[in-house]
Amino acid sequence: MASELRVNTLKDAAGNNSIATSFVAGGSAKAFVNFNGNGTVAIKSNLNTSSITDNGTGDYTANLTSAMSNALYTGLASARDASTGTNIVAADGNTTRTVGASAFHVWAAYSGASNKTLYDALFVDVVIHGDLA
Amino acid sequence: MASILKVDALQGVTAAGSILVTGEGNSTTTNLQQGLAKAWHSFNGTGTVATRGSFNVSSLTDTATGQYATVFTNSMSDGNFSHSGFSEHDGGTHALFATSNKDNNPTSTTKAGIDSFRGSDNTGIDSSQMTHIIVGDLA
Repeated sequence: MASELRVNTLKDAAGNNSIATSFVAGGSAKAFVNFNGNGTVAIKSNLNTSSITDNGTGDYTANLTSAMSNALYTGLASARDASTGTNIVAADGNTTRTVGASAFHVWAAYSGASNKTLYDALFVDVVIHGDLA
Repeated sequence: MASILKVDALQGVTAAGSILVTGEGNSTTTNLQQGLAKAWHSFNGTGTVATRGSFNVSSLTDTATGQYATVFTNSMSDGNFSHSGFSEHDGGTHALFATSNKDNNPTSTTKAGIDSFRGSDNTGIDSSQMTHIIVGDLA
């Protein structure tokens, strides 16, 4: 039978390792996604991610199932191309694509001074922390 | 009224590995287990590599210059978890960070391969300040 527990603090049975339940909710990742951004984009694993939109080369939008309370959350992303071993840096948002409460934007681009062009990455990882709506 | 729950383990009723937590907006719920970081790792990747702080990390492997693997104590369910982080080289040259799935440093259920490289020329570089966080499903 489903049940609901309402408490303010969690401790282990010895009374140690106290943590407020607000930290449990606030400190949990609200979304993550691991997807293939090359060819037909495909989600490999996720939490609270409904889909990935392929906006163009190296340009993706992770669409959230349940929205965040606002766009002021924290998002981390990394990316890599396995076939060539090329290092790729992923970042969120710019002047043309802003981060929203229900969508997080990721750009994957080559690093290196001479080549920072966008690139379809084989492996893209995103994790989002913040407040749910 | 304030309340404190003292337990050593939490399990869901319908499914042991699934407990819903109400989010900050008091309406949406999120899965507690899936939202928890399953490992984190702060380490010095220069010289003799050394872990500074960690959770669910059994060891650190130095596979090549700027190339490491965080080895888990408890394995993930598959190699498709999400991991991110940053590195910084304190020798005046800032390094960047990338998760790795290269053939010579693959991510698997038991470890996460990571690379540190210099942003200016894409060269692997050992970093003194490495941070790494892993989210996904435990086995």
